[in-house]
Amino acid sequence: MLSLVLLAGIYVRALVFTPIEATQGAAQKIFYLHVPAAICTELAFGICGLVSIAYLWLKDRRMDMFASSSAEVGVAFGTIILTTGPIWGKPIWGTWWSWDARLTSTLFLFLLFVGYMVLRGVVTDPDLRARFSAVIGIMGLVLIPFIHLTVYLFRTLHPMPIVLKPSAPSLPAVMLVTLLLSFGVFVLLYVGFVMQRYALAILRDVRDEEAANAA
Amino acid sequence: MPPDNSGYMVAAYIIVGVVVVGYFISLWVRVRDAAKKK
Repeated sequence: MLSLVLLAGIYVRALVFTPIEATQGAAQKIFYLHVPAAICTELAFGICGLVSIAYLWLKDRRMDMFASSSAEVGVAFGTIILTTGPIWGKPIWGTWWSWDARLTSTLFLFLLFVGYMVLRGVVTDPDLRARFSAVIGIMGLVLIPFIHLTVYLFRTLHPMPIVLKPSAPSLPAVMLVTLLLSFGVFVLLYVGFVMQRYALAILRDVRDEEAANAA
Repeated sequence: MPPDNSGYMVAAYIIVGVVVVGYFISLWVRVRDAAKKK
């Protein structure tokens, strides 16, 4: 709840107190939501992949529940990047979508985790479901560095990173502060959502165990 | 003079709000239902 209030604060900071960029106009302000959502999507899927590796090693069911919680939150954030990206692209690139390496691989990662969610709904055996999910989670983890490097490896419409790069960030301080604040709020949103989703998974697990014991 | 494309910005900010608040409500409802059934 607190992070929702903070997100409202980011809206005010970005829309009222951050200047309009001279060449792109007001549409550039989509940057303050698109970039933090993109980083948090990769964070969510990356954590899902790492916890999936730990699950396959330790076979602890709580790890499967945590990985699936992170994946679901990642899909929610992925929805944000795949909607705000085209809305930003239309006025700047002149097109909603381009089948270039960055956009296509991001869509592929999103669909991979949509498949992950569907698989979890279809497979009823908990151990089998956890094992299959872990494999998909690890596939997603492998894809993340590739997505980050696509702008260097291929010719794409998508711009190069202006913050997550070896040299200093190439944007004015006031815009950088807004971006960093927004990133902080998105991380808080991620943590809050995952905690809530994990609590839900635990509640369902306890309920299923009680039902199995009663039967 | 920057181009006037504020409509795209407004649309994106509305969509992000709808996704974030919608997901929050969805989680809240599911946790409440699971707690009730328990």
